[in-house]
Amino acid sequence: MTVPGNEAELLTRVVSGDREAFDAVMRNHQNRVFSVCLRILGDRERALDATQDTFLTVFRKAGQFQGRSAVGTWIYRIAVNTCYDQLRRAQRRPSQSLPDHLDPSDPAAEEAMESAALRPEIEVALAQLPQDFRNAVVLSDLEGMSLPEVAEILGVPIGTVKSRVFRGRRLLAKHLRNQIDQ
Amino acid sequence: MHEHPLDLIAALADGSLSDEAEARALIESCQVCRDDYMAQTEVIAWLAAAPAVEMTDLEKATLHRDLWTELRNQPAKRSATPWWQRLSYIAAGLFVTVGLVGVLNSGLLGGGADSAGTTTAVGDMEGSDAAPSEAVPFVAQGSDDGESQPEMTTETTAAATATTSAAAGEESLALPFEELADEARARQNDRVASESTDADFEACLTRVGLDDHVVVDEIDLDQTYLLVMRKDPEAEPVVTFVVLPACEVVYVG
Repeated sequence: MTVPGNEAELLTRVVSGDREAFDAVMRNHQNRVFSVCLRILGDRERALDATQDTFLTVFRKAGQFQGRSAVGTWIYRIAVNTCYDQLRRAQRRPSQSLPDHLDPSDPAAEEAMESAALRPEIEVALAQLPQDFRNAVVLSDLEGMSLPEVAEILGVPIGTVKSRVFRGRRLLAKHLRNQIDQ
Repeated sequence: MHEHPLDLIAALADGSLSDEAEARALIESCQVCRDDYMAQTEVIAWLAAAPAVEMTDLEKATLHRDLWTELRNQPAKRSATPWWQRLSYIAAGLFVTVGLVGVLNSGLLGGGADSAGTTTAVGDMEGSDAAPSEAVPFVAQGSDDGESQPEMTTETTAAATATTSAAAGEESLALPFEELADEARARQNDRVASESTDADFEACLTRVGLDDHVVVDEIDLDQTYLLVMRKDPEAEPVVTFVVLPACEVVYVG
């Protein structure tokens, strides 16, 4: 996989404390990081938290970027791991109520939520998938990433990604048909 | 149990096969394969129809603000600002201090004590790793520069109530952000009338992801505070404060 020179250079500048470079990295990737987090976590506010945590990690670990992958791939991998952490924390605290979906002070968020929402039955079916399948389907079919990129982000072989995507879609179809039958 | 080549079926479904003949033959001859193929294409179509997810402007601005607040609040392992920039801030602070002391000593501002509060000299804009800054008296800007605007009232009001520190963070500011934002919202026409002609302002707005915003007001204290709103007058009247030269979002509301 090629490393886009400008982006790698931006990260190098981030390491030396260049805020402008970090802002540029954020601008390039914030929407997609947020999108991945929203699709994985299923909650806008938690997705915003995860997006913030992702970029905090990017800032702190910019020096550890080896250039073996695209900067974006590296960032999305951090995003997915951040979402895993959030999900694990939520499982450890099952009694904690989930945060509200929307910031009441931001009517635009409500509009954005509606316009970006999956059909409710798809959202429900997606939520029923095992997490590994869900992540593979989200990255591949919702985010349109290539299988090698998904493999790198999830840290698994391409064959595993293919299998998860295939089985995930199969399960999704099954859940959706069940919902329709009901 | 019947095992069929899932790779082939999935690839056919997502259109990534260069030669589909083998896969087509397979689904013609195998009912399970055909069912799987149908399920795959169905789901791909459903998911492909999902609209793209985007953050709202407010969410972006809040993310930016919270992120930098978080980064400022923890001990920095490295300088967040190049050394030469830090030196320039310190030099600017010293220059302002010396200048103000000279002016005060000359007695030119003897009658301005009513408008003087306290503030600190310009120092490191990055916050957590900032060296303590030297305090100097704050003097509100007069309106004798020939370019005073009706907003100068706002400016001086803000100046009188402002207490700032070297850190550009909102936690150290006592600017009446909410009141100023309300005033800016009340002057809706400014959104249409205002055009940011200052290249530095434009560059800063781009940097913080507010390209489609316009500067509706500008408050000069020890730092410059830009009040910005979306250019589109139909857009939500969200007011964002950006502080210069740090170019940092310090308030959204």
